[in-house]
Amino acid sequence: MAANATILEDKSLLSRLDRLYLKLEKLLTACGGIVILLIVFLAVANILGRKIFNFPVPGYVDWVPYAMPFIVFLGLSFTQREGGHIRMDIVIGSLKGRALWCIELITVMIMFAMTAVLAFGAYKHYDRAKQIGDTTENIDLLLWPTKLVVAFGFAVMFLRLFLQIWGYFRALIEGGEEPIAVPLVEDAATVAAREAATVESDKIEEGN
Amino acid sequence: MLQAMLIMDPLEVGIWVTGIMMVFVLIGLRVAYAAATAGFIGLIWIQTARLYRPVEAGVYDPEAFSKAIDKGIDISINIAGLTPHSKVSILALSLIPIFIMIGFLAYHAGLTRAIFEAAKRWLGWLPGGMGVATVFSTAGFAAVSGASVATSAVFARIAVPEMLKLGYDKRFAAGVVAAGGTLASLIPPSAILVIYAIIVEQDVGALLVAGFLPGVVSAIIYGGLVIFLAITNKNLGPPVTGYTWAERFKSLPAASPIFFVIGIIILCIYGGFGTPTEGGALGAFVILVMALYKGMRWTELRDTLIETSKLTAMIFAVIWGVLIYVRFLGFAGLPDAFSNWLSSLDQSPMITLIFILLAYAVLGMFMDAIGMLLLTLPIVFPAVIALNGGPDVLAVDSAFGVSGIGCAIWFGIIVVKMAELCLITPPIGLNCFVVAGVRPECSVQDVFRGCFPFFIADAITIAVLIALPGIVLFLPGEFGFLS
Repeated sequence: MAANATILEDKSLLSRLDRLYLKLEKLLTACGGIVILLIVFLAVANILGRKIFNFPVPGYVDWVPYAMPFIVFLGLSFTQREGGHIRMDIVIGSLKGRALWCIELITVMIMFAMTAVLAFGAYKHYDRAKQIGDTTENIDLLLWPTKLVVAFGFAVMFLRLFLQIWGYFRALIEGGEEPIAVPLVEDAATVAAREAATVESDKIEEGN
Repeated sequence: MLQAMLIMDPLEVGIWVTGIMMVFVLIGLRVAYAAATAGFIGLIWIQTARLYRPVEAGVYDPEAFSKAIDKGIDISINIAGLTPHSKVSILALSLIPIFIMIGFLAYHAGLTRAIFEAAKRWLGWLPGGMGVATVFSTAGFAAVSGASVATSAVFARIAVPEMLKLGYDKRFAAGVVAAGGTLASLIPPSAILVIYAIIVEQDVGALLVAGFLPGVVSAIIYGGLVIFLAITNKNLGPPVTGYTWAERFKSLPAASPIFFVIGIIILCIYGGFGTPTEGGALGAFVILVMALYKGMRWTELRDTLIETSKLTAMIFAVIWGVLIYVRFLGFAGLPDAFSNWLSSLDQSPMITLIFILLAYAVLGMFMDAIGMLLLTLPIVFPAVIALNGGPDVLAVDSAFGVSGIGCAIWFGIIVVKMAELCLITPPIGLNCFVVAGVRPECSVQDVFRGCFPFFIADAITIAVLIALPGIVLFLPGEFGFLS
């Protein structure tokens, strides 16, 4: 589940754009991770503050829900790039070559259209909050930034899906077995082998 | 045809759209988007049909249709656009990224070897001792790391070579490691139980507490099974003896964060010491400090953050995607209709429940547990509650002998256990593939065969949990979740 799919690279424009965009996606995902870390610190400070000093973190119950969209949507596109969003690959796993790229192209185009809808809807949701100056219940945090991050996450995803449409379209025309800039479909054995390899490279082995 | 679509019964629309979703899933559309897209299509369909007012009933009116569909699309975009934000900005959901982070940090905190060493010294003297030690150390580590597959991969490297060196049967050694990993999902911290609780709108604490006893019982049953196999088959492998009590106690401190994490979460829920989120955060903090102490560097911390964030994005995508679909289902009334149909069947509710569980067993062979549960629970869960006699039924009047809340908790534990079972069954039991991948001397068939006794044990455990809901509901009852 946590394993990354293989993504091939070459010197084409598409591959260069893919890797350039990956840098942005990785940065955003790391930001999401840092927000998780901040929530951990906040919750620890809250419980210790309450128990020891009888002084919980002001607005804790506002801050945590406020931070959630940052965690969830900043990494959305990176996860798509790495083939991390789960799906059932029992049918497409049995396809090869053009038939496979054709189905992949169709599914990515559906995602592209749906992401446009979601980005637009999320933007409208943000816009309403901005217009009326909506705030959280206890410490009056302005709600629009946390709603905007949802629309932003979908917008980043939208461009990633565009790159993937490009990738699958190219694969469909060229008809090869190894397209670039898109996650490859792999069977359980390959996924497992790579999962095992990530553990193998882990330093827990030497560390003990 | 358009006319027919516009006057279709909402329930029928529900069935069509669910069919569309299944096609999406089958052609390999990412589960989150299969659900969200089908839900969005369904919303447009049902809203347009609701708003369509032809001048003359029964005659197609293009003008009225274009008005209705414009408005229908507008409403649907609004619903689809606000759901991802509103369903994600929830305090209790912050447990999921925290639990995931604990899992990734656990690797860097050096806990794997520590707990294996402790288990070996404390339990190695039993018949098949290394197998017993492996069961309990995988259970402990899997619980904290929350990742069955990864746990099996790690222990395939740590425990299998030691067992082989001592002359253990290779199928058995591989089977223990693959099966041991499945104990992850019930013992807290368990992200999948949190997800279940959120989807079926039950108390997160109740589910976490409920999982503890069945999780520990499963581990004990596995341990007992190893001892039984070792006694009946002398060639399986020798016990490991000769550790002094001093050596045993010395092995504990390094493994203690595992007990701390499990303990603090239970304590927080039980003692009112804090919320489950705060307990999880304390656990994560301790493991982070431990990992830093063990020499984790910035690049490793960064990778941990990225991996945590990625897995979180994946899980939440399925959550918001499915919830868009659930909004549509509510309009279509499909869950109610399915519940009514199941309840009206002329057979014992228990038989129906067993059929539902068997369907999960089959589905789990082809699909990831989280995706499978999220996609099916919105329809299946209300039906199971209805089979039992409704959400407010008392235990004495119910079909399964559990109250409404009790049924929600009990079914969750059984279904999650069921989903984990699929990790060690062919054709895509991922735990078995991963063990075979790490150990070149074992084929996948070897591992599947080694897992078989554990599969039987699990099937019996599930049967016992179904027959005796008290095992699941004892702790939640003690903690006051059932009243």
